[in-house]
Amino acid sequence: MKLSQRLREPLLLRHLLFRQWRNRPGRALTTVASVAVAVGAVVATWVAADASRAGYRRLTEAIAGVPSVDVSARAGGRWDPTLLPPLVDLPGVRAVVPLFYRPTLLRVGEKRVREIAVGVDVQQLVATGLLKMQSGEACTRASEVVLSSSLAEGLGKKIGDEVLFFARRGVRRLTIVGLAEPESMRWFAEGAGVIMEIVSLEDLSNAFGTIDRVRVAIESSASRDQVLAGVAARLPASLVAEVPAGRASLAEDVLHSSDLGLDFVTGLTVAMAWFIVGNAMLMNITERRRSLALVRVLGGTAGQMRRFVVGEAAILGGLGAVLGAAAGLAAAGPISAGISRALQAPAASLLVHPLVVPVSILLGTAVAVAAAWWPASQAVATDPLEALSQSPPKPGAGVSWKLIATAIVLWGVAGAILVLVIEEILPPRASVPAGIAMMLAFVAMTPVVLPFLARMCARLIPSRWHLEGTLALEQILRQPIRTALTTGVLVVAVSNGIGLGHAIRDNVDDVLGWYVRMLRADWVLTGTGPAPAAVPNISAGKGAIGTETGSMEEALAGLPDIERVEAIGITMGRVAGGACVIVSRDIPDTLPLPLNPIKATEAEVRSALARGEALAGTALARRTGIQPGDTVAVEVFGRTAEVKVAALAVDYTSGGSSLHLRRDAAQKLFGVRAADIWLVTAKPGTAASLREPLQEIAEHNSMLLRSLGELKAFIDRIIGGVVGSLWAILGLGFVVGSLGVANTVTMNVLEKKRTLGLLRAVGMTSRQVTRMVVLESILLGVAGGLIGLVGGMSTALYIQLASQPLLGHPIRISFRPSVVAVNLGAAIIVTALAAWIPARRAARLDLLEALSSE
Amino acid sequence: MPILQAEHLEKTFAAASQAGAAVAAVCDVNLAIEVGECVAITGASGSGKSTLLHMLGGITRPTAGSVMLEGIDLATLDDDALALVRRRRIGFVFQRYNLLPELSLVENVALPLVLDGVPFLQSNAAAMSSLETVGMEHRAGHRPDELSGGEQQRGAIARALVAAPAIVLADEPTGALDSVNSRRVIELLHRLAIEQKQTIILVTHDASIAREAGRIIRVQDGRIESDLPSTGAPR
Repeated sequence: MKLSQRLREPLLLRHLLFRQWRNRPGRALTTVASVAVAVGAVVATWVAADASRAGYRRLTEAIAGVPSVDVSARAGGRWDPTLLPPLVDLPGVRAVVPLFYRPTLLRVGEKRVREIAVGVDVQQLVATGLLKMQSGEACTRASEVVLSSSLAEGLGKKIGDEVLFFARRGVRRLTIVGLAEPESMRWFAEGAGVIMEIVSLEDLSNAFGTIDRVRVAIESSASRDQVLAGVAARLPASLVAEVPAGRASLAEDVLHSSDLGLDFVTGLTVAMAWFIVGNAMLMNITERRRSLALVRVLGGTAGQMRRFVVGEAAILGGLGAVLGAAAGLAAAGPISAGISRALQAPAASLLVHPLVVPVSILLGTAVAVAAAWWPASQAVATDPLEALSQSPPKPGAGVSWKLIATAIVLWGVAGAILVLVIEEILPPRASVPAGIAMMLAFVAMTPVVLPFLARMCARLIPSRWHLEGTLALEQILRQPIRTALTTGVLVVAVSNGIGLGHAIRDNVDDVLGWYVRMLRADWVLTGTGPAPAAVPNISAGKGAIGTETGSMEEALAGLPDIERVEAIGITMGRVAGGACVIVSRDIPDTLPLPLNPIKATEAEVRSALARGEALAGTALARRTGIQPGDTVAVEVFGRTAEVKVAALAVDYTSGGSSLHLRRDAAQKLFGVRAADIWLVTAKPGTAASLREPLQEIAEHNSMLLRSLGELKAFIDRIIGGVVGSLWAILGLGFVVGSLGVANTVTMNVLEKKRTLGLLRAVGMTSRQVTRMVVLESILLGVAGGLIGLVGGMSTALYIQLASQPLLGHPIRISFRPSVVAVNLGAAIIVTALAAWIPARRAARLDLLEALSSE
Repeated sequence: MPILQAEHLEKTFAAASQAGAAVAAVCDVNLAIEVGECVAITGASGSGKSTLLHMLGGITRPTAGSVMLEGIDLATLDDDALALVRRRRIGFVFQRYNLLPELSLVENVALPLVLDGVPFLQSNAAAMSSLETVGMEHRAGHRPDELSGGEQQRGAIARALVAAPAIVLADEPTGALDSVNSRRVIELLHRLAIEQKQTIILVTHDASIAREAGRIIRVQDGRIESDLPSTGAPR
């Protein structure tokens, strides 16, 4: 055909297209609606996932402070800051802050207080808003100091007062010129309460021209991994970039794996959208196979037919995509606000990535065109005589080996990627597309197993509905591809719900079990600050502020009705060239170990700890390659000691990058004695009576008192928020799935108009027709739910295995009947409801019109 | 030279199931049709007459043998080339009319020209002219569901004629019509054959209709049982 003709052809066929739409508006509208539902789901899920991530980030910041990465000497110890290349120009970098730490002693009156002083460019931090002054101003001279307001309160000092500062160069008298908000110090001060100009502190410490590390503050909207990679790429070999230990908090761990879950949900929503659009296009074309065949017989070429169908798909798909994007954006606002509320994070204005709308519209249109291509090719390849005949398409013959082979290949790919993720050759995020591939494998197997499952389920239909059940089953078996695509939407929704439901609940239970074991007490005293959830993570580190540890312990033990007092010290350290948290705690012989050792008995570990050995967190072991029995060099504030690792333990402290020692061993090895957390257990029935005296001690020592219940409620609230946000997005998947099913059933009814008319003509009542359509839908729901159950449990296993590198340890998977029941029930209810309107429509069909339809 | 010639034409349908046997619908058929001939193919249901017609019209490819239309071997053409031949050289009339329900009668008639890239005004004018030939110009703007069966079939004949085809193939064109309308349709086809020297092959199981053709080919079990001039053909 000449080019001019080819260009004119769409105009000529457009007429036919418009006529078809005008004549059968239901079919065109349902197709547009399907694309709109799919694209709307993608947009809403995308924006909701972004809102969740933003909420997680705000939550993390509220708990752990400004996100950052560290630069330190690869060999450990202090280093020359001139080695540092420029970093502030890197995308996502907010500020580059050199830090110098110095353990010191403050003397206030007769009191001597162990403290850590941190040297920074105080003026720069205040100017950039990274350090907030409660009162006073930034220190600029060697004789000036800024204290955290809580420390000043504990010491009874105010602006203008003086403190004695014990340093290598002797004792200096420093004037307090400012009081800083403790929360704004948390991200860099590592528990320090004293801030000085970095040059002055270096000078006082006889270490002029050296620093401990540089902390790179990250913009809250930036990806820490990307900034980390950017910083690492610029550093000389002698320096190393890493995530600061102690920044990865309990909350962040939960958020991290939830982030993976969000990626998974978003990916599966896209897959589900693909099925919905594919199904709509398939039906839109197969319903007109007779018309298309006729045009073929009359001389339409294959190319003309494809252009006709694809042109229509582009128009309907594009329209649906635009409507869907608008609807998705409209829905995203309330969803995001709901997620912010669920996360109890400060609500932010709705942030829509600039690519969301154009990509969704383009993707929706492209998927519609791609989805139309296959049925168009099928329609063109079909024998025109067969298509022209009045008989419906032949049912699929036997098992499709192609589908089985596809499923096996997809499972193989997913399995191979999973192994690479577990071996940490690929990042955990790589498991997301692989997990989706695994899910697609289940969908590919759907047409293979669906006939068997549908027949089995049909047997459960009461005998008085035998006719309706038989006809419903026949319709399912006769349309294997369409049925598989519809069921595919359900399989994905149910697998999503069951898989993520199990993974989330197992993760949460693992975390809850850990902190209940870790914080076994009635009351918990921590350094002041708004971050009880960060207690285990632990950077608060107020140490023995205002009092010697011994006196604090004595004060607590001296209270009546006290059964037990346990102290936990948290210190930053380095192991095998990487940052970690050193946890030193009392481990009474009468109580179980606070951590669950892996492949070692409690007795063995207990005696090893008594010998000064350590328990290493699984994530630390994974990162550094430490094995039980290894002896490693541990550096704490410039002091290095050899420590033998007795065993590994599942730990969420600092994301598992932790080393646990007995407190006496930590003191012996590193001089660490101060405690950051006190766990107080009351005698049975007396816990409530301790609140008042404990509150007094806490106030006196500038510490925060919380009951375990309060702490648990706070952590539950955070976890509940994260879990709630995921469930909300999963729920969105079900809503989308139900709309997809409703569209499919509507299309089925439109296509079967003649058959339904015939059935009504031979005496089927409208109630029977309704029942038949609803039964067909329910059969799909049950069969899809059962396949989804297998897919969901596989997904749960997959997520747990893929999360191992993130969490550092495997999490036991429990079968949860409630999660299964909720999802299966939702699938069946959703499909039954989705079928109701089209079923009623089928029952009310005008007989003559239905019989005359082609 | 015959306008249409079939040699050793065969069509075998694969078995519907593994247990079933393949069905030979048409076996070793040889025939030649001259320009302006009106040929009726008759036979009992399932005898293979419609399959033979579909092979002659390039709708179905034969399993073996050849079909030459105006000297072109249809078996050597690819799908698109075959579509072009059907569009330009063959007109089809089906038992169930097969008009697109979305389009008006004139639009249905113009469809082969539209597919051929003929501009709208031109194709519309040709369609109207074709409708005038069959006496349906007054119903041009109506949709198929607004027409009677006989009117729809006359519209289908107009569509078959619109591209001035070399041959018109009609598969049971009166099968869905009452006797009055059947008579009108058959008379129309004969008038076309006589007045316009249009080559027509029609498949029918109605002996009285077959008798009105110039030549009757009787098919049984996929083979030509007889190929004789009709005694009752109108002159």
